[in-house]
Amino acid sequence: MTKKIYYDVNKCLACKSCEFACAIGHSSSKDLLSFIKNKEKTKPAVKVHFASNKNYPIACRSCIDHPCVSACIAAALSFDSKDGRVIYDKDRCVGCWMCVMVCPYGAIRPDQTAKIPIRCDFCEGEDEPRCVKACPTGAIFVEAEEEAKSR
Amino acid sequence: MKKFVIIGNSAAGIAAVEAIREHDRESKITVLSDENYTSYCRCLISYYLSGQITEDKLIYRAPEFYKNKNIELLLAKKVVRIDFKKKIVYLEDKTKVEFDSILIASGASPKMPEIKGIGKRDVSGFRTVEEAKDIITRLPVIKTACVLGGGLIGLKAAYGFHKRKIDVKVIVKSGQVLSQMLDKTAADMIQKRIQDNGIEIVTGQDVVEIIGNGDLRAVKLESGKAIGCETVIVGKGVSPNISFLKDSGISIDAGIVVNEKQLTNIDDCYAAGDVAQGYDITTEKKEVNALWPIAVEQGRIAGLNMAGVDTAYIGSIGMNSIEFFDVPVISIGIIKPKDTSLKEIILKDEAKSSYRKVVLKDDIIVGAILLGNVENAGIYLKLMKERINISGIRDDLLDRMSYAKIMDLIKDKEKIYV
Amino acid sequence: MSEKHIDRSYDTASQKMIKRAIDENIKISWDRYDAMQPQCGFGELGICCRICNMGPCRIDPFGEGPQEGVCGATKDTIAARNLARMIASGAAAHSDHGRDVAHTLILAAKGEAHDYELKGTEKLMQVAKVYGIETEGKMVEKIGEELGEACLAEFGQQHGSLKFISLAPKKRQALWKKLGITPRGIDREIVEMMHRTHMGVDNDYKNIINHGIRTSLGDGWGGSMIATELSDILFGSPEPIRAKVNLGVLKEDEVNIVVHGHEPTLSDVVQEAAKDPQLIALAKKYGAKGINLAGMCCTANEILMRHGIPSAGDFLQQELAILTGSVELMMVDVQCIMPALSSVANCFHTKLITTSPKCKFPGVEHIEFREEKAMEIAKQIIRMGVENYKNRVKERVDIPGEIKDLIAGFTTENTFYNLGGTYRSSFRPLNEAIISGRLRGAAGVVGCCNPNVRHNWAHVSMVKELIKNDVLVVQTGCSAIACAKEGLLSPDSASKFAGKGLLEICEAVGIPPVLHVGSCVDNSRILLILSEIVKEGGLGEDISDLPGAGAAPEWMSEKAISIGFYFVASGVYTIFGTPHPVTGSENLTNYLTNDLENIVGGKFAFEADPIKAAHMMIEHIDKKRAALKLKPVMYTNGVSVGV
Repeated sequence: MTKKIYYDVNKCLACKSCEFACAIGHSSSKDLLSFIKNKEKTKPAVKVHFASNKNYPIACRSCIDHPCVSACIAAALSFDSKDGRVIYDKDRCVGCWMCVMVCPYGAIRPDQTAKIPIRCDFCEGEDEPRCVKACPTGAIFVEAEEEAKSR
Repeated sequence: MKKFVIIGNSAAGIAAVEAIREHDRESKITVLSDENYTSYCRCLISYYLSGQITEDKLIYRAPEFYKNKNIELLLAKKVVRIDFKKKIVYLEDKTKVEFDSILIASGASPKMPEIKGIGKRDVSGFRTVEEAKDIITRLPVIKTACVLGGGLIGLKAAYGFHKRKIDVKVIVKSGQVLSQMLDKTAADMIQKRIQDNGIEIVTGQDVVEIIGNGDLRAVKLESGKAIGCETVIVGKGVSPNISFLKDSGISIDAGIVVNEKQLTNIDDCYAAGDVAQGYDITTEKKEVNALWPIAVEQGRIAGLNMAGVDTAYIGSIGMNSIEFFDVPVISIGIIKPKDTSLKEIILKDEAKSSYRKVVLKDDIIVGAILLGNVENAGIYLKLMKERINISGIRDDLLDRMSYAKIMDLIKDKEKIYV
Repeated sequence: MSEKHIDRSYDTASQKMIKRAIDENIKISWDRYDAMQPQCGFGELGICCRICNMGPCRIDPFGEGPQEGVCGATKDTIAARNLARMIASGAAAHSDHGRDVAHTLILAAKGEAHDYELKGTEKLMQVAKVYGIETEGKMVEKIGEELGEACLAEFGQQHGSLKFISLAPKKRQALWKKLGITPRGIDREIVEMMHRTHMGVDNDYKNIINHGIRTSLGDGWGGSMIATELSDILFGSPEPIRAKVNLGVLKEDEVNIVVHGHEPTLSDVVQEAAKDPQLIALAKKYGAKGINLAGMCCTANEILMRHGIPSAGDFLQQELAILTGSVELMMVDVQCIMPALSSVANCFHTKLITTSPKCKFPGVEHIEFREEKAMEIAKQIIRMGVENYKNRVKERVDIPGEIKDLIAGFTTENTFYNLGGTYRSSFRPLNEAIISGRLRGAAGVVGCCNPNVRHNWAHVSMVKELIKNDVLVVQTGCSAIACAKEGLLSPDSASKFAGKGLLEICEAVGIPPVLHVGSCVDNSRILLILSEIVKEGGLGEDISDLPGAGAAPEWMSEKAISIGFYFVASGVYTIFGTPHPVTGSENLTNYLTNDLENIVGGKFAFEADPIKAAHMMIEHIDKKRAALKLKPVMYTNGVSVGV
């Protein structure tokens, strides 16, 4: 069962706690104040966008057809069909932004400084994605894809 | 049990193999390649030349891949002829391979201009790992280089030389670089960026001769001026590798013509990747869109159909993405409309070296250029692929694009949001 | 909250009550703190602005989104305005407290509040002199009234300077004048601060902070100092007094009344009322052995230092006291009273009573305190507590045994006079001790408690490290209570914790190495102590020359910000545990932590590690010692380094 992140738009207040948790959690400082002090440049993989009076957080969907994997000219992105996730190998990435070009959600962004794509890794190694944990209103949650479909 | 033959061991060929094996673990698959390397990332050879990556990073699918998938991989085998009636592929070494179903993913080769001296030893295309390796071994003796052609391959090669501290000049016949990918404005911004960083670009000049007795000495321009160099790379576009299909009865235009299943006019014969000419969503005509991601998509479609899974391709869109000296640029679809009914919306911010352009046909996006800030490029691609009417978000089209903006427009949406 | 959260307090008494909260599923501050994680990053960095209705605006700290608000305010402007408003609020809280005391003084002097008398006549004369009030041949009451009115007038004063400014070292006064930051009137600076930080007024972060400094000086050398000095006049100046601290002061067999908040006006009368024979008889009728009054937070400090009333604990123990199941009644006045008290009280028989018209809780009984009928109201409230004793559920009473002795009640006037003994009552001995290197210097460790730091741990660790290094520590507020619970304020703590030089002083004079100088409003006493040291001579001409430093390692309130600013503006190097919410602005952070030193002589530092912070203070003290060309300290790590 593939678990994915879903969003309750009616609960999202655009507080951007998810953005903070994501960027800070993926930085080497791991906490906001040191992050600022150390002038780290890590960017959030989840972004909250605004449209039609609602706030839409968005991050990688690990799509079934995962066009980013097809587009990757360096084989840095691959798809793990076991848990339905797109895996990223930083060592192989050359920063060509093909993945940015094809992501239908705009959920992969170029990190111009680090020359790597900013993309959700589902917080590998954490028991729960940081954005989910950080959301103060429960607007971000993890659900099995099948359940979400029946919703 | 069927016998599948795949001609070509790159993006399309591999994608086809993977697609077949998702549904058919038994049948025999033979992959033929005229190169002597395991599958590699062709687009990375300029990064290899520049020294940004090591050779091991070029590997796209390692030898174990073929073993694990039970694939017969025949390297350094050049196909000379296919008999579609008898379903036999004839190889240069006089051996032959039988097939029930075949995919031609033989790719393309650099177009070499017919000028004097083009056959010299130090003149090469820039498409194979062999060519890249050859240049790398000669690097110690190369001080200056010339690149013919200002397309993506030419500029990437030039960038590679520049990184190796070799004085490189790019000779472009047309008035702009990246003429297939960018309009004049974007091209000029990129050209300036590249020139500001020390790569000389000469536009509006063709090379008429490559000079040198034995060793390469210089290239001679139309103007009569000669530019000294020890090596020349030709990056003037590619043509499909179809010589072995002469008189085979297969339908060829700019490439091998295919339908939405990547099927050619011949039964059980598919084509995909740089050699194929299939439907282009934006031009609404059949085009050769020689691009890695498209080759993967087409290869997959072909593989699925070969395995008996009936699948239609919605069509390709010409596109590309590249970054030069910290300026990224992405181009998708029709970027230099000739048809006057197409409208352009442009946002340019010179100070931020940012340029965005969208080309509209009625209210459907058919082309886009994003320079400087390439975020959300994939959303434009999605809008183009799905031919979504953008009249509702026209005001946000250039600088406030996001998935949220198109939420209400998407027909078949994944239920991401509650 | 799970078992592991018990460790969130360093204090074992608190740990027991946290455990109880977990067992009984009662939500307390640590639960709410955890539920709030992660806290808003924009808020933490100080880069959100809600000042006008074009907003709310916020600056993207990742550099991708907006870098200025709708009005164009940069992160520097936004962070500075937010901080300045915190100063204004903190200064307002302290000063309003001072205003209330002045008001009570006038009523008492005019005979309109019979339950108060002017007990500190010596202090009255001193302060009257500062205010230029003629005392010759005047009744004490008349002087008190005139002084009260003069103090009240300073709140609305529009120009000139506050009278207490004249007590600062001359050089300091001149510096403030030169910088144009001498406070003109207490309310005036607060109001101007609010005006300047209104949309589209002061947009220069340095200029905003400079007025913030002026506002804070109006607190430290104005509102707070009025509160302290007039309280001493009304209730008498504290004298060193032995008392007890921690939840263990609550009694299993007596009616426990807890008075919580800040002002002495109520608590001082309550401590008297609790002695009422009729009420005690009533308590006995209900089966209690008597009435046990305990304080909480700073109002505890007020009656602790004047009457030896025990303190049940600090800010983060207010809920824990109720969790003992033994508190019949908790009456509160103003400041630092958690809204959560009412729900925690609902889990027990505890009655919560609000008394100030400024501080009400929905659903909580309010008995308004009026100075004119102080004793009557105090008794009425205590009676409610006594009558509530019958509702106590004996099985639910669980009072932690922790209890510690402390000495409280040191003041500017008595502290170092003690050092000199009866025959040499002056600051000379203290100055000599520092000059000779027996003492390295002095430090003020003050401030609140905060669930974002392990409760009491930062206070205790920092203070232990300082006294170990022969730094005499003065404390106020919850920081003092935290260290008292560790036994650091007891007379015998010097032999356990102090460095050799400090130990020698403590033994010679018979004081603890850590001195309790009052409630948080009494930080003004520290300002006067510092001024007295300068005046005594031999340690420079200004407070910024002194080998001293300040810290608020577990701060939480806006008052702490105001206190921090008036210390820095008075020339003191001041360390805050967690940073001010300004770090989203590099410029402002730099201004506070670097540039200010060249302007006012003091500056801020932010350091969460209390040991590291203690050493930053020690380093600063050593720097000042070197600048004064003092002898090296006598002992390093308890060993004589010889002179």
